[in-house]
Amino acid sequence: MLPLDGVRVLELGYGIAAPVAARNLAQFGADVIRVESARKPDSLRLGGAGWLPPGYDWSVRRDTIPALNFSSPEKRSLGLEIDNDEGRAAFERLVAVTDVVITNVSDDALGALHVGYDDVRALRPDIIHVTLPAFGSAGPYRTYRTWGHNLSAAAGIDHLIGWPDRDPVQIGFAYPDFVSAQAATVAVLAALRRRRRTGTGAHIEVWQYAMALACLGPAIVAAQVEGIAPSATGNRAPDRAPQGVYRSRGEERWVAITVEDDAMWAALCRVPGLESLATDSRFASLDARIAHHDALDAQLTAWTRTRTDWEAASELQVFGVAASPVMDGWDVVADSQLAARDFFQALPHARFARDLVFGQAVRLSDTPPRAEHAAPGFGEHSRAILRDLAGLDDATIDRLVDAGVVHVMVRDDVALERPYLHWLRKVQRLLPWGEPTFDPAAQMMQDLSDETPP
Amino acid sequence: MTGIDLLDGVRVLDSSGEPSAYAGRMLADMGADVVLVEPPTGSPAREVPPLVQAPSGETVSAHFAYTAAGKRSVTVDLTAAPGRDVFRSLVGASDVLVTSAAVGAMEALGLGYDALRACNPRLVYTSVTPFGLTGPRRRWRGSDLVGWASSGAMPSIGDADRAPVAPGGGLSHMAAALNAVMGTLVALTARDGEHGRGQLVDISVQEATMSVTMEVSPLVFLEGGFDQTRSGKRKQAGPIGHYATRDGAVSIVAYMPEHWTVLAEWVRDETGVEEITAAEFSGTPIARIHYAELLDTWIEGLTSRYTKQEFFTEAQRRGITVAPVNSASDVLDDEHLRTTAGWSEYRMPGVGPLRVPVPPLHVDGATAVVRDVPALGEHTRAVLVDELGLPEADVRALHDAGVV
Repeated sequence: MLPLDGVRVLELGYGIAAPVAARNLAQFGADVIRVESARKPDSLRLGGAGWLPPGYDWSVRRDTIPALNFSSPEKRSLGLEIDNDEGRAAFERLVAVTDVVITNVSDDALGALHVGYDDVRALRPDIIHVTLPAFGSAGPYRTYRTWGHNLSAAAGIDHLIGWPDRDPVQIGFAYPDFVSAQAATVAVLAALRRRRRTGTGAHIEVWQYAMALACLGPAIVAAQVEGIAPSATGNRAPDRAPQGVYRSRGEERWVAITVEDDAMWAALCRVPGLESLATDSRFASLDARIAHHDALDAQLTAWTRTRTDWEAASELQVFGVAASPVMDGWDVVADSQLAARDFFQALPHARFARDLVFGQAVRLSDTPPRAEHAAPGFGEHSRAILRDLAGLDDATIDRLVDAGVVHVMVRDDVALERPYLHWLRKVQRLLPWGEPTFDPAAQMMQDLSDETPP
Repeated sequence: MTGIDLLDGVRVLDSSGEPSAYAGRMLADMGADVVLVEPPTGSPAREVPPLVQAPSGETVSAHFAYTAAGKRSVTVDLTAAPGRDVFRSLVGASDVLVTSAAVGAMEALGLGYDALRACNPRLVYTSVTPFGLTGPRRRWRGSDLVGWASSGAMPSIGDADRAPVAPGGGLSHMAAALNAVMGTLVALTARDGEHGRGQLVDISVQEATMSVTMEVSPLVFLEGGFDQTRSGKRKQAGPIGHYATRDGAVSIVAYMPEHWTVLAEWVRDETGVEEITAAEFSGTPIARIHYAELLDTWIEGLTSRYTKQEFFTEAQRRGITVAPVNSASDVLDDEHLRTTAGWSEYRMPGVGPLRVPVPPLHVDGATAVVRDVPALGEHTRAVLVDELGLPEADVRALHDAGVV
């Protein structure tokens, strides 16, 4: 019995913010249905796996994008156009049996598709309705359009990344989208609690700009008290020293070290090879260490360079100093800590026998998050959902498929295998990959010969 | 200002240090009663950098000034047996404990999950540690930087000729706090439903940081979706990156065809670079990367004529996704926040009035009311005597003994 058993969620999501919020709810047990359009598909349905040969058309490609396995595992997919009478009618029947509607479509699209709070509340009075506007529903930036990168810059995150003698740098991931997704999950959980007690639904907006700002609260407080905004410091921390990223043995290998307080400094000075730090007057106090941080870094680097990143971090941790190798993607996939906690999962997928899925960071001792299947194929569950929840018969569904209103997973006989699975199987020995049930090369040749040119 | 009542009636004990401090703040924003349990000398959370000089001359933690707003403060010495008894009484009257104590530290005090579950089977015990409560590295110490380093996201951040960099501002710990709030609410949902009991929520800063960097995760790089090198702004589809203005920079993401076309025409019309609309630059976003250096020069020819705010406004008017690269000071002056009642004002003893952006959740049109930061032990008497019903004389004796 999962915590959100019996809760149904309709997601009209694009990219990260709404899909990742709904993914959390699915992992906690909700029945999450993505309502997917082929005319305006989710950006994570565009393109396809890079290794797929050109012979595969979009009906297969859209199921192969690996990012879907962090945005949409445990969900069901309904391919449905809701901008026409019959599609709308089916959608309305679904809303009537739904607890939560979550979407990050623009304000304009909310109106055009009639999926705003008042629209869905008319169909289900105690509905919980969640949107994730970038700047909110009022003010001069109300209509402004942004990506996560833009919001990150506007909120002041970028300003704190980089080196003091150079311009700030951009990051390759949309931090504001992910934290907003988590805030939306929180809002839904809290609103469901209130609904159980009072019977009332909720109209929720998560303002993504405000969420990004909320994460930078300490910097905003510091800026107003001191009159100077904090700025990028490389890897140094305010009011702590030493902290940094130090070169270790090997190509592009680094170890991160933080000395949190005087007790941890004393611990660092006990590490074999670093004992001389204890008697160096330049490092006798926190203020002195901050003043002579460059000299301190040079001594630490001399020590870390003669060790691998894992050796250095392990040795420091034995003495109680906070440290870690600067892990890259390969390290993460092969990490024994994450493996011991079953972070990555190999779960059944409609196109792949199993596929690599990103685990839920919320760990619960008694009701662990669901880990049953990877992201759904586009329209994989259309028939079951329309039959069981919207009351449509097979003949009607067939007609709607022909009319392009309903989309079902096409060519569901096509089975694929990611080319790096062989390697992953070795690295992730604990995962239940199983043996390949088909010869991928032969299957691919077969598929290509079947392919009708568009 | 009615605030948000979603968590009315939920009492949270908060013995957080840095990694989970914002969790209690967010729960308080949603209407929970959050009680900060501090040693009589003050919580380590009061010392978390950045430290700032208040007008009173006092040095205070800006982190605490932000994350403790709306909490109540009760002092209890957990190293003394009578203090632990008081703590157990508090646990008996609470729904949630949020702690960032190191693995084994609460157990050493006899206040681990198993012990506290015995005094309150309905308790949700939310733990935030650097690597989680299980696994070979569970005893490793952590920090915000260590959180980033262990996430796998750092090698792609920064400049190629220097070490990888982590974002500043404590953002891996903010991710951990958000995960702690999610976990706490899921566990409360289970408790109030079929499961009927509290449980242990185990948040790892490593995994929480991965939960906000999934875009650069193995799922993507194994497919060749991005490279892990620090090559600045030209590693993705173009144009995307920071571009210099008269007073700083703007962040432009204009690789989508509809954005690129408008930007290219704007550059042409205003700076006279006719070539920018030529066919070789209007292909796919990936194809444009080959000309990135040239295109960046032309784009900067335009952006450098404007201030970042001017360029932001004009670009948005034209429908291009752009934003200024703001500092916290710029945010304090932000026109949008000023004209949308975007600030909450509250007080901290010794510091005076502070303002922070209004919390991001809007529920039925209302937002959270940010309440004041508590003085050390400000609510000890109210909570222990008035609410828990401990005899006044006993609390007085504990106070005289330095326990509360």
